[in-house]
Amino acid sequence: LNDLLERASQLSEKLHSLSTSLTNDLDSHLPPVGRMMIPRPSMCHTSSLQIPNDKDQALRIPEDELLSLARSLLLAWSDPLTLLSSEASSLEHPERNTINTKTQELQDSIRSLGTGLEHLVHKMGSSSDDLSDLPFNTNSLGQDKTSQLVNFHFLLSCFRRDSHKIDSFLKVLRCRAAKRPEIC
Amino acid sequence: HYPPGRPRLTRCRSPEKETFTCWWEPGSSDGLPTSHHLYYRKESSVEVFECPDYHSAGNNSCFFDKPHTLIWIIYNITVVASNALGKTYSESVEVDVMDIVQPHPPENANVSLMQADNNFYILVRWEPPLEADTRSGWVTIRYEIRIKRENSREESDSWESYNAGKQLEFSIYSPQPGASYLMQVRCKLDQGLWSEWSSPAFIQIPDKT
Ligand code: NA
Ligand code: NA
Ligand code: NA
Repeated sequence: LNDLLERASQLSEKLHSLSTSLTNDLDSHLPPVGRMMIPRPSMCHTSSLQIPNDKDQALRIPEDELLSLARSLLLAWSDPLTLLSSEASSLEHPERNTINTKTQELQDSIRSLGTGLEHLVHKMGSSSDDLSDLPFNTNSLGQDKTSQLVNFHFLLSCFRRDSHKIDSFLKVLRCRAAKRPEIC
Repeated sequence: HYPPGRPRLTRCRSPEKETFTCWWEPGSSDGLPTSHHLYYRKESSVEVFECPDYHSAGNNSCFFDKPHTLIWIIYNITVVASNALGKTYSESVEVDVMDIVQPHPPENANVSLMQADNNFYILVRWEPPLEADTRSGWVTIRYEIRIKRENSREESDSWESYNAGKQLEFSIYSPQPGASYLMQVRCKLDQGLWSEWSSPAFIQIPDKT
């Protein structure tokens, strides 16, 4: 169990660090008018999910629920990341190749983490199979180059926030499972 | 006399992902007594609140304690300057605690001279910043150290950095006999911003073993 949680934490950390670095890459070349067009973070398709919003809340949540929250968020990003991967190669951005490579890497990592979390559910004997459904009803980033860039940026900032939630929840789980929490 | 100059929110910082502080700079003033108030609104809510604590973080600041701090939620923050002739609003700033996490530097950084197999090496040790919770997993702390030779006239001597991971010590082998070294440590939480460097620690390497 500890090994599984350790590997899951490494993957969630990678997701968060990749999405942070991708956001920086995109930021380096976003026209000011595009910046104004980015939707509010409350428009993220996962924002309706009820999650703990501070440490005390997170530490009070039972382990199987924390795991379900991480899995729900991960599942909600499967389709949007597929869209991002397919659109990254046609993005009008000087860092397009880097962005494309990192986006493919993101997609591979959420698949591996998804598989890892399924194993965890079985290992933890977790009963909760009640994952929240967070539908993503978009199949295009837009017609013109600016909308594509803006929507790519928006989705990535949503993912960056969600990957930080996933990373934080999995690391709380990892520390609860650890025999020696002082080195957590 | 005039209404107050426009105040400016200069920065916000959360040292441990559990509380945060924002600071502002007052605008110009022609001597009329001026007071400043900070107001905030949380994402998806229209309710406006006033700063919960103007005192704990010093002048021109607002401290948000644990009960007033949430993460992954946008705070929309505005400062209002008032005098007898009117009010002036700052530009409002949007903050997610996730984006302003920057710990304080590690504590008690020190260097010792060690010896193994007739060779000297340097052992650097430090402690986590006081506020960091390194047990619950709420934050993951990482350290970086840097070291350079002191008082050297060679231009090429610059800082060398090492990633120390989660450890609280780091060994540096093969120091130059007779040289003195200066070292510092810094840390970050999750993918947040690096802390400032710790105060420097020095060590003098003897000429020969
Ligand atoms: Na104050
Ligand atoms: Na709180
Ligand atoms: Na880190």
